[in-house]
Amino acid sequence: MTDLAIRCSQAHVNYLVRTNRQLIRSVFRGQKPEVRVIEAVKGVTFDVNVGESVGLIGPNGSGKTSLLQAMTGLLPLNKGEILVKSIPTFLGVQAVLRPQLTGWRNIQLGLLAQGLSKSEAENMTGSVADFCELGDFLDLPMETFSSGMKARLHFAVATALAPDILLIDEALAVGDRSFQKKSSERLKEHRAKAGTILLVSHNLEEVRQSCQRVIWLEGGMIVADGLTDDVIEAYEAS
Amino acid sequence: MDLLKVGESVSLSEYLKKLWSHRHFMIRVPLEDLRAQNSHTFLGSIWLVLNPLLQVGVYFLVFGLVMPIDRGVDQYLVFLTIGVFVFFHSQRVISESTRSLVINVGLIRTVHFPRAVLPMSTAVGQALAFIPVFLVMIIVVLAYGNWPHLRWLLILPVFMIQNAFSLGIGLIGARINHSYRDLENLLPFVFRLLFYISGVLYSVDSVVEKDLWRAIFLLNPMYCLVSLWRWVMVGTSTGGEVWLATGVWSLLALLVGLSAFRSKETTYGGAV
Repeated sequence: MTDLAIRCSQAHVNYLVRTNRQLIRSVFRGQKPEVRVIEAVKGVTFDVNVGESVGLIGPNGSGKTSLLQAMTGLLPLNKGEILVKSIPTFLGVQAVLRPQLTGWRNIQLGLLAQGLSKSEAENMTGSVADFCELGDFLDLPMETFSSGMKARLHFAVATALAPDILLIDEALAVGDRSFQKKSSERLKEHRAKAGTILLVSHNLEEVRQSCQRVIWLEGGMIVADGLTDDVIEAYEAS
Repeated sequence: MDLLKVGESVSLSEYLKKLWSHRHFMIRVPLEDLRAQNSHTFLGSIWLVLNPLLQVGVYFLVFGLVMPIDRGVDQYLVFLTIGVFVFFHSQRVISESTRSLVINVGLIRTVHFPRAVLPMSTAVGQALAFIPVFLVMIIVVLAYGNWPHLRWLLILPVFMIQNAFSLGIGLIGARINHSYRDLENLLPFVFRLLFYISGVLYSVDSVVEKDLWRAIFLLNPMYCLVSLWRWVMVGTSTGGEVWLATGVWSLLALLVGLSAFRSKETTYGGAV
């Protein structure tokens, strides 16, 4: 029997962009504050089972990131609903860690941020450090790291807890070849432990390697949903 | 298998439980920030004590040597030090927690946690930063011959009440600042005004004679806090009504703050 990890039904995500919000414009120039509605996701429906790894592909502005953000509850849905087994964890490329602090301290902060207790975080720090293979660099402040080194640490921290559902937005493309291999192995391991992964990427090769299934979004709607090779072939042909 | 619905707000008890599970994070982040703050300076953490010490030094120079005025107050330097340190502490807690959502937008967009963690952790950080300030305050108080008193047992409770009040206002501030960043620009002037009407530089009791006016001052929580601190530290007389007013203010601020903050919980981090 397969368990559902995510059920997304008729999800609509709208952005409200207010232009001319400044008072002075509305008073002195008579411009009315204008609210523009941008429909980023327009009725998307799909199910993802536990242990599945799904790639989301599509051109820029097709609603991939909005959809991921809606799954974490960050962007409110305007219509429809998203049900999840547990609240997904976002693995983004933007750094949330503190540049002035050493790698070690950042690892602990990252673990605590995910709700671990102090002793749990301390116990885990070692294994996270081993995974990023940064050696003595961990004693240095993170601002001295190269961007690839930062990405390694970030990936290691975010995947350390093996969340039920992991959302990845272009995170694997950073880091060198050997680390990319290592991270895709970790994701495989993660799936084997009944973890679910949603990966947004423009790197089709990466999607081929890590996903069995691909959803192709365009203009906020699903164009195709199926086996990786079939969907990517159709996408490349378009 | 039950599925959760994304983006639904949780019950208050569930929310508080989640806050509790993030307590280590709330303490660790400001601790690390404090450590990092002066990491690029030669003197490092010594600045945490040196800063308030220099501040008192300037007051001593100005009010003790250059233009020795006492404005009808005994031990004016002690009076001033307590007032200024206490006032600025609340100001920092309130204005920093007001900014906390905007500053940490990256964290909000990546990690799932109850958002009240951010203003709370800011308040914890300011409370930690107050420790060296408090030490300097004690030194000044002792230096003027005010010996430790049983009242000092109430220092911690008064400090807690002060922080509860400041956090509550900070929670309201954070919620407003999330939609209207204008608040950030306005706050310094609000505090500047409050600074002059809270009896930081002068004794309200010696300026205001009518009971009615004194009652009006009780509507100013900053005045209440400054008066309480002065009483606890050096025994400057205050009535029971100041205690009552401060307690009411703190409780009110915290309750209103938490519910105001939670009402927009799911929108923080999104587009305004």
